[in-house]
Amino acid sequence: MNAFQYATAHSPESAHELVAANGAYLAGGNDLLSLLKDYLVSASILVNIKSLPGLNKIVRGEKAWTIGALVTVAEIERDAAVKEAFPGLHEAAAEIGSQQIRNVATVGGNLAQHSRCWYFRHRDTVCLKKHGELCYARHGENRYHSLFTGNDCISPVVSSLATVFAALDATAIVLRDGKETRLTMGELYQKAWEDPTAHNSLHPGDLILRVEIPAMRRRSAYLQASDKHAFDWALVSCAAAADVADGKLKSPRVALGSISPKPHEVAAANEFLEGKTLDEATVAAAADLILKDAKPLEHNAYKVPLAHALIRRTLLQLKGAA
Amino acid sequence: MPEWPAQNKYIGQPTTRVDAAPKLTGRARYSSDIQADGWLYGMILRSKWPAAKILSVNFDKARSFPGVKAVALARETPFTVRYYGEEIAAVAATSKQACLDALHALQVTAEPSERFVVREDDARKEGSPQVWEGVTNAPTPRERKTGDVDAAFAECAAVIEGFYTTPVQIHHPMETHGSTVSWTEEGVTSWASTQGISSVRDGLAGSLKLDHSKVRVVTDYMGGGFGAKFGAGVEGVLSARLSREAKAPVRLMLTRFDQALAVGNRPSSFQKIKLGAAADGTLRAFEMENYGTAGIGAGAASEGGGGGADLPAPYLYKVPNTRVKQTAVAVNAGSARAFRAPGNPPASYGMESAMDDLAVKLGMDPVELRLKNDPSPIRQREFALGAARFGWKQKYRKPGSSPGVVKTGVGCAGAAWPAGGASRQTQGEAQINPDGSIEFRLGVQDIGTGTKTVIAVVAAELLGLKPEQITVKVGDTDFPPGPGSGGSTTCASISPTVYDVCTKALQQMQTQSGLADVRAENWFAACKKLGVNPLVVHGQWQPGLSSDHACGVQFAEVAVDTETGLVTVIKVVAVHDCGLIIDKLTLESQINGGVIMGMGYALYEERVMDDLSGVVLNPNFETYKLPGIADVPEIDVVLINMPERGVIGIGEPATVPTAAAIANAVANALGVRVSSLPITPAKVLAALGKVPATTA
Amino acid sequence: MNIEWQTPSAHSRRSFLKGLGTAAVTTAAAQAEAVAAELEKANAERTVGPGPVPVTLKVNGEQLKLLLEPRVTLLDALRNYSSLTGAKEGCDRASCGACTVLLGDLPIYACQKLAVEAQGQEITTVEGLAKEGKLTKVQQAFLEKDALMCGYCTPGFVMSVTALLKQNPHPTAADVKRACAGNLCRCGTQPRVLEAALSAAGIAAHRTTNTEVVNA
Repeated sequence: MNAFQYATAHSPESAHELVAANGAYLAGGNDLLSLLKDYLVSASILVNIKSLPGLNKIVRGEKAWTIGALVTVAEIERDAAVKEAFPGLHEAAAEIGSQQIRNVATVGGNLAQHSRCWYFRHRDTVCLKKHGELCYARHGENRYHSLFTGNDCISPVVSSLATVFAALDATAIVLRDGKETRLTMGELYQKAWEDPTAHNSLHPGDLILRVEIPAMRRRSAYLQASDKHAFDWALVSCAAAADVADGKLKSPRVALGSISPKPHEVAAANEFLEGKTLDEATVAAAADLILKDAKPLEHNAYKVPLAHALIRRTLLQLKGAA
Repeated sequence: MPEWPAQNKYIGQPTTRVDAAPKLTGRARYSSDIQADGWLYGMILRSKWPAAKILSVNFDKARSFPGVKAVALARETPFTVRYYGEEIAAVAATSKQACLDALHALQVTAEPSERFVVREDDARKEGSPQVWEGVTNAPTPRERKTGDVDAAFAECAAVIEGFYTTPVQIHHPMETHGSTVSWTEEGVTSWASTQGISSVRDGLAGSLKLDHSKVRVVTDYMGGGFGAKFGAGVEGVLSARLSREAKAPVRLMLTRFDQALAVGNRPSSFQKIKLGAAADGTLRAFEMENYGTAGIGAGAASEGGGGGADLPAPYLYKVPNTRVKQTAVAVNAGSARAFRAPGNPPASYGMESAMDDLAVKLGMDPVELRLKNDPSPIRQREFALGAARFGWKQKYRKPGSSPGVVKTGVGCAGAAWPAGGASRQTQGEAQINPDGSIEFRLGVQDIGTGTKTVIAVVAAELLGLKPEQITVKVGDTDFPPGPGSGGSTTCASISPTVYDVCTKALQQMQTQSGLADVRAENWFAACKKLGVNPLVVHGQWQPGLSSDHACGVQFAEVAVDTETGLVTVIKVVAVHDCGLIIDKLTLESQINGGVIMGMGYALYEERVMDDLSGVVLNPNFETYKLPGIADVPEIDVVLINMPERGVIGIGEPATVPTAAAIANAVANALGVRVSSLPITPAKVLAALGKVPATTA
Repeated sequence: MNIEWQTPSAHSRRSFLKGLGTAAVTTAAAQAEAVAAELEKANAERTVGPGPVPVTLKVNGEQLKLLLEPRVTLLDALRNYSSLTGAKEGCDRASCGACTVLLGDLPIYACQKLAVEAQGQEITTVEGLAKEGKLTKVQQAFLEKDALMCGYCTPGFVMSVTALLKQNPHPTAADVKRACAGNLCRCGTQPRVLEAALSAAGIAAHRTTNTEVVNA
C-alpha cells in the first residue's frame, strides 16, 4: 500500500470533508485494503466511518425495515428477526465470504465493493475499468463474467446483498453533497451498466447511510452456486421475494447476481409471475424469460443453465417457506 | 542383519506429535518468523512482462529512501526474462512499507517483446514465438515401443480412445518460499523454509563462492514444501547478497502472489490414449501421445529435479504392446519443479480414465478389469480389500443410471510409487546425558510429515523409554547430514539411522556401565555411570530395515448436481501399504493430506494464464482454489501392515490415485466423462449437453 | 511485557526500534509513551500519519506500545513490530485464515485490519491462549487428534475453533465447518480439525478418520 493519513470521522459532514478529493471511506476495509495492497486505487487519507452515529442499527418498522450501512454482515446473519422477516437476506448474508470476513464486512461496503474481475484485480493488466484501452476478458478468460452487458466491460456485480435487496425492492439511501438521495438497486448500479470505468453509480464522496426494505414480501429466498462448497465467490446468485396469497404470488421479484454489471431483473418475468401458482412449469417459464436475451461468451455459457436452475429452485423455495 | 523388534510398544501405535505444543501455542519459530538481531525486510521486484530484455535498473531513487539498506540485481544486466514474475531485482529495508516504497521507486529500462506464448497448443504451432531463441518449443517426441501395437489393436475386442488433460498445479504450501539470511565475516547463516538444508547450503556456497564450512542452514520449523523447496532459490541468494551489503540479516519471504509465478508447479498433460483389450478384459494394446508444459523449463530438471513433463506410461497395468510418444512444450511461464509424486497423478488420471472407459465398452466391472491386469499382488489385495470396505458391489451401477437430479457414482484407481528407498548417506547422533536425558540430532527436516516424532518413537522403542523423554533436534547443517525430505524417502532414511544410533548407544552404554541391559528401568542408573560427561554416539543408515516401492488403491464416491454441476465427494476409501508403520497417527494424517490434495487437483486447482498479456490470472487463493473444510469428504483408511518389508514411505502414493478415482466416479455418475481436470461445474454442465452455443 | 525471542540471538525491543533506522523513529520512540497516552483520549478526528504514529494495542492482556504508519496492518504489527509471530502470513489478502486473531470475541483476519483500528479492543492471538504453558481444551484436542501437520495454518484454525466454542459450546459438525470455512490448509488437516473441535466440545463420538490395519 502507499502511505496514507488516517482519521476517524464523527459526523457525515466531517467524513465528507476529510475524504475530500483523494481519500477513501474506511468501513470494514475488506475490499479497500485489497485494492490498496494491489495498487488498484490510491488514497491519500483513509477516513474511518465506523464511529458515525446511527448507521449501525437494524430497525424494524411498520412499513419498512432500516438496515444501517455500518451493520456488519455477521450481525445480519445473527439477527433472528431478520431471518424471520427476510429469510433470503439471511441466506445471502450467511454465504458471504467467511466468518472472519462477515465479522467486519458492512452492508455499505458490500454494496460498494469493486469489480472482482481478475483482469481488473490484476496489477499488470490495464483494462477498460482502469481507463485502459481494452477489455481483456471479452476474448480472453471470461468464465466468471457477464451474460448481459450494457457496455464493453463485461465485469458483473458480485454483491450478494445487492441481489437480494433487488428482489426485496430495497432502496439505498446515500448522502450526496449533503442531501439524502434514494437509489433502487438498479439505480445504484446503472452507471456500471453504462460506463466501463464504473463499479456502481456512487459519486466520489457519496456515503451510503442505510438500506430501507419494504415490509412486504413475506417470503424470500436466496441461492448461489460456486465451484466450492464454501468460501467461494458465486458463479451465479439468485434471490426471489414475493407475498403469497391463496397460493398465488403477489408482487414477485426475481434478481440475479454475477451475470450482469447490475442485479439482473426482467420486468416481463416479474409480470408473468404475478398471480401465478408456483410449480415446475411456471418457474421454468419465468427462468426462460429472465435469461432470454443472455449473450454468452466463449467460456461463460454454462452460466445460462446454471442460472436457470437457480431461478427455478429459488422460486420454488418460496413455496415452502413458513 | 539388523531387524525391527517383533513386539512393539510404540512402533505401529498412534503417537501424538512431539512438536505439537510449540506449533499450537505459537512458540514454534518458522523461517518466516525469524527475527534475528537488527533484521531487515527483503522484497523482490518481478518482471511484469512475459518476455523482455532487461537493460538496466536504476536504484538511485530507492537508495535515497532512509529505510533502504541494500539493493541487488537478480542477474547482471542486460539479461532476458522469459516469464511474467521472473526476478529482476531486490531491496532490503527497515520495514515492509519501506520495501514496498523502494520497489515502486526502482526504474527498470526494458525492451518488452510481443513474442511470447503461454498456451501449450499455441506453443506447438508452426510459427509460434519461441521461448528460447532458436530452440523449438516442442522437441520431437521421444518414442518408446514394445511389441506391435498396430497389429494388436486390430485384434482387440474392444478399443477406446480418449483425450485426457490435466492443468498446471501449483504447490502453494501455506508458508511461502524464503529465508532469513545473515552474511557476516564469519560466514552465512540461513534460516530457510526448505525441504533440504544441505541443498540450500550447497546452493548458497556455490552461488556466493564460499566454502561449505562457512555456510550454515537452520530449519527448525517450516510450513510445507510438497517438492518445491529444494535449493537456495533465487530468493535465497538475493537474501544473502542483500545481507552482505546491508550488514544485517535479511528476511525475504515470497508473497502469495510471487508463489504462484516463480517457484515451481506440476506440469500439465494432454494425453491422447488408445487402449484395447481382448473380450475377457486382458489388455493387449496401449498407445499414448502426451505433451505438457514445464514452463520455460521445457522438461529439463529444475531446482531439485523431477520437474519434467514426461509421464510413466502405461501406468501400472501390464500391456504387452505399447507405443508412447511424449514431449515437453516450453511456454513463457514459471518452471516446473517436483510436486508430490511427479508425473504420477496425471499418469494415473489418464490411464485410469482410459481403463474405466474401456470397462464400460466391455460391459465389465471396473474393479474386475483392474484385477485382470494388475501385475502387483499387493495392489490386487488392495483392490479387493478396498472394494469390500467401500461396498463397491453394492454401490457400483451402470454409468448414468443413478436416478434423480443429484447423481451418485463410484470410481477407483491405483498407484505405485517407487519410493526411492532411502538416502543411504543419512547419519545421526545422540547425546546421552548423565541425568538420563537424551537428545537426537539429525540434519533432516520435518516438513509437516512428523519426522521429529518418528525419531522419538523409534528411539523410545529401542531404548525402552517414552517418546516424550526423547529430545529431537533437526534441521541444522551443523548436525550429522540427513536426507532431503522428498521422494517419500525420509522415514526410510532416518528410521534405520536412529536404529543404528540406538544400537551403538546401547552397546557403548553397556560397556561403560557394566550393565547387561541398559534399557527401560535400567536407563537412569546406566546414565549415572557416565559421570560428568555426556556420551555422544554417532550412527548411520543401515540396510535391512527399510525398502522401497509402495502401492495404493483408492475408491471414491461422489454426488453430482446435474443442474448446477457441483461435484461433492462423499467418501474416499484409501488402501495403502507402506511397510512397517512407525506412527499410525501421523501416517493417517499423511494419507488424509494426500487425498485432499488429490481432490483439489480433481476439482478445483489450475493455474490460469492470459494469452494476451502473458500474466498469471489467479496468483492468489481466491481464484486458485484449494479444498476447504466444507469440501473434504469422509476418508476411510485401510493400512496393510508389512513389517517384514521394513520402513517405506507414504507421502506421495497417498495423493497419486485420488483425482483419477474421483474423475471415474463423476463419469460413472453422469454416464458421460469430463476428461479434463479440474472438473468444474462449467465442464459438468457442458458434458451433459446443457450449455448453449456461444454468440460471437 | 516480556518479549521472548526464540532465535539464535537475543534481541531487545529497544535495539530493534533502533535498528529501524531513521533518527525520527528513534526520537519518537522515546516520546511514544507520553504521546500514546494522550492519543488514547484525543479527539479522534485528528488526522494522523502518513508517517509513524504511536499505536497502543492490547494483546493477550498486555499493552504493546508501537510506532506504526497507518498503513501497517495488525498482522504486520504483530509479526514484524513485536515478537508475536504466532499469527502467520499466508496470503495477506483475507483469503487463507492463517492470520486469524480475535478482536474482542470475533475472529477476524489480522492482515485486513489496520493496526490503528485495532486499538481500544482486546486482541487475542494464539500466544494468549495457553496460560502458563497449559494447553487449552481446544489445543489439547488438536494435539490428541493430530489436527496439525506442518502447523503453519494451525494458529488460525485454533483461533477460529476457540472463538466458535466460546460463542457456541455445543456446535454441530456443520457449525464447525462454517466457523473454519475461512481457514485453508494445504497439508490436509481438515478432517482432524473437525474431529478435534467436536472433541473439545465434548463430542467424542465423531471420528473422521476410520482406519483398519490389516496384516499382510
